Amino acid sequence: MKREMITLLAALSMTALVSGGCANKEAVKTEEPAAATIKAEPVKAEPVKTEAAKPVQEPSSKIEENKIVPAKAAEPAATPAPETVLETVYFDFDKSDLTQDARNVLSKNAETLLKSMKDAKIKIEGNCDERGSAEYNLALGERRAKSAQQYLLTLGVQPDRLSIISYGKEKPAVDGHDEAAWAKNRRDDFVIVK
Amino acid sequence: MRNICFLILILLALPAGLWAQDSTPEAVEVTAPGNRQLKLAIETPRNLDPSSGSAVGAELSDVISFDLNMSGAIAAETRPQTFSASGNSLAETAFPLWAAAGFDLLVRGEYSVKGDNLTVEFRLFDVLNRKMMTARRYLGTTKDLRRFAHSFADEIMLVVTGEKGPFTTHIAYVSKRSGNKEIVIMDWDGHNLMQLTRNGSINLNPDFSPDGREIIFTSYKRGNPDLFKRALYNTIEVPISHRKGLNITGAWSPDGSKIALALSKDGNSEIYTIARDGSHPVRLTINPAIEVSPVWSPDGSQIAFVSDRLGKPQIFVMNADGGSVRRLTTSGAYNVNPRWSPKGDKIAYARQMSGGFQIFTINPDGTGDTQLTSTGSNENPAWSPDGRLLAFSSKRGGIEAIYVMRADGSGQTRVSQNKGNSSQPAWSSR
Repeated sequence: MKREMITLLAALSMTALVSGGCANKEAVKTEEPAAATIKAEPVKAEPVKTEAAKPVQEPSSKIEENKIVPAKAAEPAATPAPETVLETVYFDFDKSDLTQDARNVLSKNAETLLKSMKDAKIKIEGNCDERGSAEYNLALGERRAKSAQQYLLTLGVQPDRLSIISYGKEKPAVDGHDEAAWAKNRRDDFVIVK
Repeated sequence: MRNICFLILILLALPAGLWAQDSTPEAVEVTAPGNRQLKLAIETPRNLDPSSGSAVGAELSDVISFDLNMSGAIAAETRPQTFSASGNSLAETAFPLWAAAGFDLLVRGEYSVKGDNLTVEFRLFDVLNRKMMTARRYLGTTKDLRRFAHSFADEIMLVVTGEKGPFTTHIAYVSKRSGNKEIVIMDWDGHNLMQLTRNGSINLNPDFSPDGREIIFTSYKRGNPDLFKRALYNTIEVPISHRKGLNITGAWSPDGSKIALALSKDGNSEIYTIARDGSHPVRLTINPAIEVSPVWSPDGSQIAFVSDRLGKPQIFVMNADGGSVRRLTTSGAYNVNPRWSPKGDKIAYARQMSGGFQIFTINPDGTGDTQLTSTGSNENPAWSPDGRLLAFSSKRGGIEAIYVMRADGSGQTRVSQNKGNSSQPAWSSR
């Protein structure tokens, strides 16, 4: 039932996106149907849900916000729609160590995970800006995801609730070829898997 | 490639065997005069059945001309049927007129189109010595037209330089023409584009098996960057490394028995080799830094790779068992994308500079560091199997496309024509 809903919503958001037509978003989104196809495989059910979860949030992001985070709506302008519950963490160019800002955000995220989302499992998605080489950035993105994972662990989040993946520079949050865009793309997104 | 069963390549019954033998030393002599590039004329092939296929002759000669000019070994020009209206035999060829026009070599040909069937015959003449150097006859369908011409260009290179050309080969690359990064394949000159993967996910870094029949690539299709293998003309994509974390930048060993790749299953990205079926992982690097992009020397004894163990990504070389690691690139703050030349004499790579990346080549001992590109941002060099050419991706035209240049950086030419960004080219073997 739940799965059907997700599939339905994913399909709906796909339709919305197709008519929307932003090149960058499209690239990211069109992944979802592929992941959904894999759903048939019992083993890989979790990552699939992650992927499906994002488009679900997008069209109905307002509802989500009201429902889940009434207190925490003060989201910085940087991340528009997708992860409103757990804040995105940003990195300096070619760096994977956590800035003070990043630590503050992670502390808030840890609090959320320990208090209001006690059962949630999280996938940390590491990303890079477009400037480095694609291959090196896959590893750099993983390092960024790992930095956040380590920090959340030290703050007491249980290891089995955290997984990581790197998208290198393959999934930019925003288009654009300037520092403003790059800064928004050097990031860890936190995706609720369960 | 897929039409290979339709392609019947026939050595011309009588002369070919003879000429092949006694013309080779002759040919070496022909390449010698001074330092002047050999001049070759391609006379528009004669249509034996003018009722159909009128455009065929021009396309055949254009393909040969483009191939040979890109090789850098021969300066080729297409010429209308100027000096003789008769057949292609030695006696019917007006050598003095071709010689007077300044040509050392001459290609003459004839063809006929019957329905879908195409028959083409080419002959290469040594103008000064008035000899036929080689001849080929091709029987197939009209779809094989460009392939026949590429094949004769390969043959001309063999006769003139002693090494077959790379012109019947293919380039696989990552294309966003569908909106997602899928693996596609084209002829080396950009024609006959075909999409290989259709999984709607992110697909990266194709690499050909040494026999040219299979590719490996990384795909997120199962939710993790896993390494897949597939035959070129079969849609089944087999996951061969789906270990936890990264399974990226796979590179087939020259003998086809192993694959070098970067895995992060043990904590951070390290270089490993696995058997061609994905089993038997052997870890080659042990370092807290990032290691990616392993590539083999053509004899399989060494592996070049990228590591940021000194801070920024640089290219290192090690023995294929992981021993004797040494730094290759010492200039430039950020060097990536190594590719070892097929003859082993050069390693091409990309350096990050102001405004993007540029392609360089360097000798395996670290000398001879040479910049080849300077227009736009250029990445991921890939050698042609004869080492004369390099494919790479460039953003110089706005859109990122696949370009080809000679190994000295001359003749930079866009070859991919599709919409959407094109990146990460891999050049097939012959």
